[in-house]
Amino acid sequence: MAKTIIDAHNVSKTFNPKTIPVHAVQNVHVHIEEGEFVALVGPSGSGKSTLLNMMGGLDEPTAGSVIIDGVEITELPENKLIDFRLHNIGFVFQSFNLIPVLTAKENVGFVLQLQKMPKKEREERVLTLLKEVGLEDKINSKPGQLSGGQQQRVAVARALASKPKIVLADEPTANLDSKSAENLLNIMAKLNKEEKITFLFSTHDQRVIRKARRVITLVDGKIASDVEQTPS
Amino acid sequence: MLLQIAWRNIWRNKARSLVVISSIIIGIWAGIFILSFSWGMYKNNINESVYRQLSHIQIHHPTFGEENDSKFMITQTDEKLNQLQSDDRIASISSRVITTGMITSPTTASGVKIYGINPSSEITQIRLDEYVTEGAYFEFGKDNEILIGEKLAKKLKVKYKSKVVLTFTNVESDIVSAAFRVGGIYKSKNISLDEVNVYVQQQHLQELLELKPSESSEIAILVKDETQIDTIKQLSADIVPQGKVEDWKELSPELSMIIESFNLYTYIISGIILLALTFGIINTMLMSVLERIRELGMLMAIGLNKRKIFFMIMLETFYLTLIGAPLGLLAGWLTVTTLANTGINLSMFSEGLASYGFSSIIYPALDQEKYVIIVIMCLITAIVSAIYPSYKALQLNPSEAIRKI
Repeated sequence: MAKTIIDAHNVSKTFNPKTIPVHAVQNVHVHIEEGEFVALVGPSGSGKSTLLNMMGGLDEPTAGSVIIDGVEITELPENKLIDFRLHNIGFVFQSFNLIPVLTAKENVGFVLQLQKMPKKEREERVLTLLKEVGLEDKINSKPGQLSGGQQQRVAVARALASKPKIVLADEPTANLDSKSAENLLNIMAKLNKEEKITFLFSTHDQRVIRKARRVITLVDGKIASDVEQTPS
Repeated sequence: MLLQIAWRNIWRNKARSLVVISSIIIGIWAGIFILSFSWGMYKNNINESVYRQLSHIQIHHPTFGEENDSKFMITQTDEKLNQLQSDDRIASISSRVITTGMITSPTTASGVKIYGINPSSEITQIRLDEYVTEGAYFEFGKDNEILIGEKLAKKLKVKYKSKVVLTFTNVESDIVSAAFRVGGIYKSKNISLDEVNVYVQQQHLQELLELKPSESSEIAILVKDETQIDTIKQLSADIVPQGKVEDWKELSPELSMIIESFNLYTYIISGIILLALTFGIINTMLMSVLERIRELGMLMAIGLNKRKIFFMIMLETFYLTLIGAPLGLLAGWLTVTTLANTGINLSMFSEGLASYGFSSIIYPALDQEKYVIIVIMCLITAIVSAIYPSYKALQLNPSEAIRKI
């Protein structure tokens, strides 16, 4: 039996609780096992990004708890939570969000430097990752010199740099053309299969949904369905 | 890596960073210029007072300063002058006979301070000869020659070679009147003193006051090295044990107050300039932070803790200051060094400046210590200015920040 890597227990999130409350997520239970490739889907405003952020420790639930690999992150003080994210969670954002003043190599190496990895080891890992995402010829390019698809691949390499247990991706293909999106999804699917990294996507992109082995649908902040499927 | 990111960040918007750097340069340059200009004015005024009026050290009878009466004199002056003159730390020395009285011309009268001087020894002391605009500096060697200021001459409506009468009391408290002929008219850099100080031959005044030739009211000493003033003061006290020995700061407390108040002035002026600079830096850095909210949110999300985010923003401000401050200092130093040689000619305001004892040519000057103060204040400004934008960055919630457009 696979190990539970994410356990969101009775999680709720209400914005503006004192003025006009918006119940973004309501009493959600989600268990995700190690090595899963999950798509969190739903219409805009259904609460999928909020749930993803809470699972990544970027947002604090109004109620409930999130346990990642046995650690209740909702109880961690801020600095420990940041440190936890650094070592355990990789993020891929919709708008790539790379550091514009750093090259592809430096962007990926940045996380490793925060982890205080020795320089030689760090450089080797960065090159391996950039090679894995097919950007070995762009290591010294800055984000402004890369296409959207290339930037997102750098972001994936950065998310994987610290060998996280989970990669959380918020609409990772939203700003990409079909070819770039396909390319990116294939890379992530390969890493999921070969390195057993758990991927959790918030998306309404059918291309992503088709690749997922499990699809959780959120409607109005509640789980409407949770189904397993054979990826195509 | 943070050092590198902060450095590269400041060049993301070159125009904005250059505006901040320029404002730092101009701010520091302006601070240095204003301070050096003011100090140049004051220093000139102090030098004028010390070297042409007070001298570094003066010795009087202990009661002379209070009564200002010539009967409180120093005896055996010549012997004491010889002893002091033998010390090679002393640049020049002279004795003076001083009394107060009235000067009368055919049209009007005025109260004056009468100095009986030895013209040859005063050439290296008050150097009045350099200020003579009409006539000559005791050229004729006559007893009844008098040197008066241009302003007093105008007031008395007298000219070179005019006749005036001095009236004063002698040591026996008898009223004495004597006729003098204006041998020269001088114009010093302190017009207010020109109106009250008149100079006559010491020997003649001694006779009129009924003083003995070796009696005088004042011994004035200029030292070669100002750091030796205290030592020479002690030496003077040993040689003239019954005299009251005072240095120029004691003789003219207002001058020493100028120096002290200038230090305060340094802080106030620098503070005002740097305060304006602070707001400029805060504004720019705040804009820079607000423009990068999403990026800062991402940095927090991927594991950069808030302490490091704070440090990074502080560093960016610090870098801008570290570029601007040395350039501003260099510009200031070059300006001061150049103008210290050429001077700033304010002759159009000479009348007004001279009435306050200021020269019409200002030679800006600034001690090294003041440059250090400006640098330190600049660094403090940079740190203070960076706190608010850095604090704003700390307030960010990563999930909200990432969603910002």
